[in-house]
Amino acid sequence: MRYAIIGNGVAGVTAAFTLREREPKAEITLISGESDYFFSRTALMYALMDRMTLRDLEPYERNVYEKQKIRRVRDWVTDLDGAARRLRLRSKGEVAYDRLLIATGSRPNLFPWKGLDRIQSGLVHFVTLEDLQAVEKAIRPGGRAVVIGGGLIGVELVECLVHHGMQVTFLVLEDWYWPIAFGREEGEMVADHIRGHGVDLRVQEEAVEFHSNADGGVSHVETKAGSSYPCELLGIAVGVHPAVEWLRGVATPPRVEKGVVVSPDFRTSLEDVWAAGDCAEIRRDGEKPLIEQIWYSAKLQGEMAAKSMLGDRIDYRPPLFYNSSRFFEVDYTTVGAVNQAPEGAQSFYRRIPGKCASLRIVHHEGAVIGFNMLGSRWDHAWFEKWIAERRGLDYVLAHLHVAQFDAEFSRLKLEGVTA
Amino acid sequence: MIGPGRLEWLKHDLTNRGLTAWILSAVLFGFYMVLYFTDWLNPVAAALGLGHKWTLYGLLYTLAITLGGVYVIRKYRHNRYQVIRTVVVIVVQVMLAFSVPLLLKFFHQPEYYFSYLWPLKFEYLTPPVVFHMPLPFILYSFFGALVMAPLLAVFFGKRWYCSWVCGCGGLANTAGDPFRHLSSKSMASWRFEKIAIHTVLVVAVVLTALLFVSWGAGKQNPELARWSYQFQSAYGLIVGAVLSGIVGVGVYPIGGTRVWCRYFCPMAAMLGLVQKVGRYRITVKRNMCISCGLCSKYCEMGIDVRSYAQTNTSFTRASCVGCGICAEVCPRGVLRLENVTRRDPQELVQIEVAA
Ligand SMILES: Cc1cc2nc3c(=O)[nH]c(=O)nc-3n(C[C@H](O)[C@H](O)[C@H](O)COP(=O)(O)OP(=O)(O)OC[C@H]3O[C@@H](n4cnc5c(N)ncnc54)[C@H](O)[C@@H]3O)c2cc1C
Ligand code: SF4
Ligand code: SF4
Repeated sequence: MRYAIIGNGVAGVTAAFTLREREPKAEITLISGESDYFFSRTALMYALMDRMTLRDLEPYERNVYEKQKIRRVRDWVTDLDGAARRLRLRSKGEVAYDRLLIATGSRPNLFPWKGLDRIQSGLVHFVTLEDLQAVEKAIRPGGRAVVIGGGLIGVELVECLVHHGMQVTFLVLEDWYWPIAFGREEGEMVADHIRGHGVDLRVQEEAVEFHSNADGGVSHVETKAGSSYPCELLGIAVGVHPAVEWLRGVATPPRVEKGVVVSPDFRTSLEDVWAAGDCAEIRRDGEKPLIEQIWYSAKLQGEMAAKSMLGDRIDYRPPLFYNSSRFFEVDYTTVGAVNQAPEGAQSFYRRIPGKCASLRIVHHEGAVIGFNMLGSRWDHAWFEKWIAERRGLDYVLAHLHVAQFDAEFSRLKLEGVTA
Repeated sequence: MIGPGRLEWLKHDLTNRGLTAWILSAVLFGFYMVLYFTDWLNPVAAALGLGHKWTLYGLLYTLAITLGGVYVIRKYRHNRYQVIRTVVVIVVQVMLAFSVPLLLKFFHQPEYYFSYLWPLKFEYLTPPVVFHMPLPFILYSFFGALVMAPLLAVFFGKRWYCSWVCGCGGLANTAGDPFRHLSSKSMASWRFEKIAIHTVLVVAVVLTALLFVSWGAGKQNPELARWSYQFQSAYGLIVGAVLSGIVGVGVYPIGGTRVWCRYFCPMAAMLGLVQKVGRYRITVKRNMCISCGLCSKYCEMGIDVRSYAQTNTSFTRASCVGCGICAEVCPRGVLRLENVTRRDPQELVQIEVAA
């Protein structure tokens, strides 16, 4: 059996290892254009801040691919012929397969802002290794930067730019920072914390036009409210979309909507072709299409898709949503439905006085359904358990301490907070 | 990407095996050669009113731990484990490893270091040395090394000693902090570590036994006494001077801070074995690791923490000194140092989820 995998991100690599575990003899080819070896995309910011080398971002020792007999090919796939079961690569010829996994990840979004087409330099994203190089080139200590987009990648980029001594303006379209995850209270608290690091964070600011100087370098950003922000570096972090552009012109494109459309067993519309990770759009009759673009789901989907390729019956249902992050030193853990909570859900919210920390527990019809915890560490497994068991708020508050995961002697004091 | 300005460049160069790092390493090697093999520092010590070169060295060492400790406390100020631990390290160094021995000398008592135990402080279970001490010191030497140290390691892991008390670890975790990430993470180093450190432990135990035997049978058997004396001198030179001092500190800027602790220290070897069966462990939060690798990079013992974290495996490694930095730097709060005394909350979840 010849397996081919496009994309050596966490989805593709997890799939490759899963295949190898079950099929010691099969041929496995891992094709990727961005890098020779799998690296942790989530840690790009630490490379930019000089806390890690690029080599440090690689989660496995390099000889593991050889040991596992996984053939690596560094190239971009340009054509997919599902009838002949063949891929064409940009420069390294063709790869034949019996079963194929598409795990091409995502690309940064770009909207048709006015003036965008005139910008030759200074505009950066923060998703790929190429982006990393571009950011490094554009950074000038003491210079001005504008970052657009109030999500996670945006704030990571902001932190890096501040680290390198840039004066950063952070433009957030919404009423408060990161409204898909935070309530107003948390959004404002975190925004203040970010401002405390010298960032000029502005909410309700929508960029409408970019200006450039004579040689095409970005010069300032104009917003709908009429403000103008000078900058020599413009970071665009307004989300990502599945990397499917390359599929539109291939010999036999699989069905593509926003992402590569797959059924809950990760099969695409093409025979013997699967897709998983950031690029996959999972469709189930009568339900909203599902595109998950986080590390954990890419890892899980990669494993599940591989099992499906091996012939297992797979019916993927995403696990209860959870995620974590860090905003300039402030830890964040979330589980379940917080801002996507149903109508009528109630929220227990407490701000911890004197620090950037808060607890939010969302409950509905007598049972907790979601957690948003800032400024301290929590073991999300407990939250998942309580949600699954449909525990009431009182029970959860009384037992909250068991889920604490702060370092020894650093436990957040809950006494008086949860009363 | 290196930060802005010359200072940032220097910081990068010094902590990433640049030219300045090699120079610093050479200077440290030179200093230790002079310290161990010449008396050039005696006049310097005398001029400073410190009497002897070893007092001068003790003062410098204490200063390094104190100043480095202040830096570390500032750096990790939001983490009370780090703050408390570092304060203890400084206090132990200033009191037990510096002032108390001086005071003892002042009162015409033997110069005794309560923060050092056999087999690290090899002489403390060496008959001619230990039996010349006052009785309380003799009792402490035996009790400390054979009962207290292993017992505490059962409950808290080797960290109680290696990261809270010991001066070698103290220097590594204070002045050495900027170099901690230079430890080798390769499998080859791990294999070497296991062989080297246990070899030193075996040698230390055998030598101690030999010294007791020759002490008992010494009068009738001068050959054995001479032979074991030579064995002891060789051990003192190779392990005590070369490995713990010259190599151990000299390679800080090139090979990281815990080269001595990781590959050679017999105390670490002994406590590591106890740790494996004790209650200390690093708990890994399920499915939360993003494989960023910060934990592995900043582990001074070269443990590939990420390889455990990304596979949801809580672990106890014999070499882990419980410095807690892997947990501190993890941007997703995945790791936690624990002494699993009670049936722990985390334990319960794992059981129930597995069931
Ligand atoms: C800065 C940043 C921070 C993030 N932080 C977090 C976080 O904290 N937590 C979290 O859960 N998620 C985070 N994410 C999201 C997470 O990184 C992604 O969800 C995850 O990496 C997706 O994995 P993947 O394997 O699907 O795709 P990717 O990792 O994107 O890998 C896809 C690979 O496919 C290759 N490829 C694409 N097209 C082709 C082609 N035509 N031919 C050959 N190769 C091709 C590319 O080379 C690429 O390497 C972050 C993302 C970014 C950018
Ligand atoms: S594993 Fe963690 S606690 Fe143990 S030595 Fe390494 S960094 Fe320190
Ligand atoms: S630092 Fe945390 S998130 Fe990063 S690899 Fe280690 S355990 Fe995983």
